[in-house]
Amino acid sequence: MLTSIAHWLQNLPLILWLGSSDHAYPFVQLTHFSGLSLWISTCLILDIRLLGFGKKLMTPAKLLDAIFVWNWVGLAIAVTGGFTLFCIAAGGYIANPAFQVKIYMLLPVALIWHIIVQRKTRGWGQTEETPTAAKLAGGIELILWLCVMTGGIWIPNY
Amino acid sequence: MAFCRWLEHLPWVVEMTGNAVQISIVWLFHFLGYFLVVGTTALVDLRILGLAGKRQNLTQLAKLLFPWTWLGLFFVTVSGFLMFAGYAGQFYPAGVFWIKIGVFFLAIIFGVIVQRNVPKWDRLPAIPLGAKAIALISLVLWFGMILASVEVPAFIACV
Repeated sequence: MLTSIAHWLQNLPLILWLGSSDHAYPFVQLTHFSGLSLWISTCLILDIRLLGFGKKLMTPAKLLDAIFVWNWVGLAIAVTGGFTLFCIAAGGYIANPAFQVKIYMLLPVALIWHIIVQRKTRGWGQTEETPTAAKLAGGIELILWLCVMTGGIWIPNY
Repeated sequence: MAFCRWLEHLPWVVEMTGNAVQISIVWLFHFLGYFLVVGTTALVDLRILGLAGKRQNLTQLAKLLFPWTWLGLFFVTVSGFLMFAGYAGQFYPAGVFWIKIGVFFLAIIFGVIVQRNVPKWDRLPAIPLGAKAIALISLVLWFGMILASVEVPAFIACV
């Protein structure tokens, strides 16, 4: 079932063109990495603030307010680029153990954790000092995103 | 070129490049550095352009983000040099690699201009048009650098 969907995706005329075009393919990669830059950096900056860095400058709640929209815009851009990159070589990706661990395990866990942290930040982040639970949650999220990145980096090794 | 050949044949460089775990750690720091540099710079640029965090103070936001921009830059530079060292003989003659380095330094220059001027711009009743133009150029340069970066591996493979 998954294999036939992958095969169908990979052979869509637009995907075939993107995969074979010297000019279009780098722009798909640009889309993915630009989105990731916004997404990962805004996630990590909030985690770092929850850990207690930069406490004199801005409360976590205010920081969240400043980054919230671009955090999710970043994810939308990253997913658009990432899904297109997946389609170009879908057959190879679905059989890749590193891709499977990243997409089926690490990414959902990190994403759910991120949503919980974001929702809790409005409560935790009203003051300069963050509670221990916030520090722990920020630290765990930071490690989770590093694991997701490692999963992505490991894909070409298979 | 002789220096590049010497560099890529150093025993520790050969060991690092051939070891999947070691080179993956280098890649992880390279990506982490890029995401921190591009993301934090983009946020400040977007704030100057009036497209992000308008309810938050620009100077405070920039002061909070810039230390992580510089940490990201440190990660990118060190890991980038290690990646260069492994294939120095192929990187050196590749035009696209030097375009990337050129755009990278230009983007840093514009980033520094933004960083130095943020408190001044923030004291004005409205962000000047020139400041917005600089922020836009900075944004374009960083995304241009990503484009050049993704082209490098393809070009190196062709060398």
